[in-house]
Amino acid sequence: MKTVGIDVGSSSIKFVMMEGETILAKHQEKMRRRDPKHVAEEGFQFLCSSAGVDPSEVVYIATTGEGEMVTFRTGHFYGMTTHARGGLYLNPDARAALDVGALHARAVLMNERGRVLQYKMTSQCASGSGQFLENISRYLGTSVDEIGLISTQSKNPEPCSSICAVLAETDVINMVSRGIKTADILKGIHLSIAGRLMKLLKACKAEGTVILTGGLSQDKGLLACLAELTEAEEQKKGSLPFQFTSHPDAVLAGAIGAAIWAAFRAKRFQEQIGA
Amino acid sequence: MSTVQTMSHPIIERCEQLYEDLSLNYVRDQTNATGRKAFGFMPVYFPREIVYASGLLPVGLMGAGDLLEIIKGDAYFQSYICHIPRSTVEMGLSGHLDCLSGMAFPAICDVIRNLSGMWKIMFPQKESIYFDVPQNFDPQIGGHYLVEELKQLAVRMSKISGKPVTHEALHAAIALYNTHREWVMKCYAQRSKKPWEVPTSELYLLMRAGLILDVQEHIEMMKAYLESVADLDRKPMDNARVVLTGSFCEQPPIGLIRSLERAGCYIVDDDWVLIHRWIKQAIPTQGDPFQNLADAYLKHSMDAPFKYQPERKGHQLKQCFIENRAAGVLFCAPSFCDPALLDRPMIQKFMEAEGIPYTSFKYAENTGQYQVIKEQAGTFSDSLKLWGEA
Repeated sequence: MKTVGIDVGSSSIKFVMMEGETILAKHQEKMRRRDPKHVAEEGFQFLCSSAGVDPSEVVYIATTGEGEMVTFRTGHFYGMTTHARGGLYLNPDARAALDVGALHARAVLMNERGRVLQYKMTSQCASGSGQFLENISRYLGTSVDEIGLISTQSKNPEPCSSICAVLAETDVINMVSRGIKTADILKGIHLSIAGRLMKLLKACKAEGTVILTGGLSQDKGLLACLAELTEAEEQKKGSLPFQFTSHPDAVLAGAIGAAIWAAFRAKRFQEQIGA
Repeated sequence: MSTVQTMSHPIIERCEQLYEDLSLNYVRDQTNATGRKAFGFMPVYFPREIVYASGLLPVGLMGAGDLLEIIKGDAYFQSYICHIPRSTVEMGLSGHLDCLSGMAFPAICDVIRNLSGMWKIMFPQKESIYFDVPQNFDPQIGGHYLVEELKQLAVRMSKISGKPVTHEALHAAIALYNTHREWVMKCYAQRSKKPWEVPTSELYLLMRAGLILDVQEHIEMMKAYLESVADLDRKPMDNARVVLTGSFCEQPPIGLIRSLERAGCYIVDDDWVLIHRWIKQAIPTQGDPFQNLADAYLKHSMDAPFKYQPERKGHQLKQCFIENRAAGVLFCAPSFCDPALLDRPMIQKFMEAEGIPYTSFKYAENTGQYQVIKEQAGTFSDSLKLWGEA
C-alpha cells in the first residue's frame, strides 16, 4: 500500500512516498513565490515519477502544514500530529519533537505510539524561526546553507534580542556597523533561538530524547547552541534535562508522519465511505 | 484522489447573496410588487404558519454576522451581553429593517426578552411582540396557555395584514410548512449520509435563505439543490464526523463554518437555523389548527437549553451522535450566551459519562480570527481519526 505525505511549509513543500515502513521516494521543492497549489501538484507528479509509481497506485495522499489548499488530498493532519509521528519514525527513542520551521517553532511531546501528549508553540513573533535566519543571512551576505558552519566558528558570540524579530534585526544592523564578526553575530542569533526553544521544551516538561525536525533541523550552528545550553543546564542543576538529536531526513519529518498516518487511515477511510 | 469542495454552486451563490443582503431587498421587492407585508422574528422558534396564514411574509432574522460595523447597537448593551442584539438594534436603527411591519421576539433568554421592550420604545409605530412559550409541558396547563398565545398572535397578525386567520388558511399553511420541513429533513439526511456531497457551509446558506424566501420558493430551491448535488462529482475526504451544538441563536460567521470544514471536520448535524427543524414531525392538518400547533410544540419539538427539561440534558445530543454515526461533538456556543453556556457543563458531564469525545470553544457572530478555533477543531479531528478507537 503506497501512501504520500505532503508537508506544505511557508518556504518549501516536502514530499514523501512510503510503502509500509519504507520510504520509496522523497522530494523537497522551494516555493520561490510560486502558487503553492501548482508546486504541490508538480512535486507530487515528480515524486511519483522518481519512484516509478503511477499516481493511481497511491491509496491515500495526506497533507500537513498549510496543506489544506492541496485540492487532491485524501485527508489532512495537523503539524503536531505528523511531526510527532515522523520524529518517532526517524528516532524511536524520541519522546519529543522540536519542529523549527520558517515561521514558527513548536515543541511536541509524544508517547511511544506517536500520540501527541502536549505541545507548545512560539507566539506570533518570527524571531525563533528559519525565515528570520534567512533574512539575517541576506543582511550578512552569506548563503543560508553556510549559516550553521560559520556559526560554529564563533569564539565570542554577540548577544541578540530573543523577543522580537524586528528588534533582533535592528541589533544585527548595529552589530554590522560596529564591526562584529559574522560568525559571532550568527552564533548570537543561534543562541537566542536555542534559548527560546529550550523554554518551549521546558514549558512542555519534555524529558529524554528530543528530535529536531523541520527546516532548521540540519542547522549545525543551532544544534551546537542547543547542546551548549543543555550542557550549561546540566552543570547548573547536575542533571541533563534532555538530549538533542537530529536525522538527515528530519526536514521531511512532517511529510513522513503524514504518509505513515495515511497508511493507518487508508483502510478505515474506505470502510467509512463504503458504510 | 479527492477534491476539496471549493467549486461554486449557482443556488448557493444566490443563498449567499440573500445572506449578505442585510437590507432585505428580496423582502422589499416582494412587498413593493405584491403589496404583501412582511413580519420579522428572531431565533429560535416562532409559529410561522400563523404569520403565513395571515397573508404576511415571515422573515427570520439572525443578526448581522460580521457584515455590519456596530456603532449604535453597542450603546444599548453592556460588554457582557452577546452580540446578536447589538447587530439587530444596529440594523433596526440604520433602516435595514424598514420593510418589516413588525418584529417578534420569542422567549429564549432575558436579553431577547428585554430587546422586545426596547424595540417597542425604539419603533413605536411598528408592532413589537414578545412571544412567550410554556415551560410546563402538561397539555392542560402549558398547552392551554400556548393555544391562547397562538390565538392572540393570529389576531395581531391579522391586524397588520387586514386578513383574518381562518382555520382553513391555517391548515393550508401548516400543510405547506410540513412539506417544507420534509425537504429540510431530506437535505440534512443527505448531508449526514454524504457530507462531501452537501458541504455544511452550503447547507447552512441554503437554510439561511429559507428564513427570507417565501416558503414555496424555498421548497423549490431545496429540491433543485438536492437534485444538482447528486450530479456533481464531489469526492469524499478523510474527515472526522462531528455533531455541532450550542449555536441555536447567535450564528457563527460563515467564514468560521468553512474553517471548521477545512480543519478536517464533517459536521453531520448541527443546531444552526433551528426553526426549520424545531418541530420534528408533520403537524396534523385536521381539527383545531391552534391546538395542533400547541401540541406539536409540547410533544414534538426539539430539546433545547431554553426549555426546562432538567432530566433530559444530553439525551437528544447522544441520540443525534448515534444516529449520525458521529465520532465526536463540537460544543460551539456564542460568547455570553446564557442558555448555551449554562447547559454546556451538564451536557459535557453527560458526554463524559457516555464516553463521547468532545471539544469546546466560543465565538461571536463578528469573529474575524478563526485560526485558534480551526487549530483546535483540526487537532480534535486528528485525535478522532487516529485515536478514536484507542
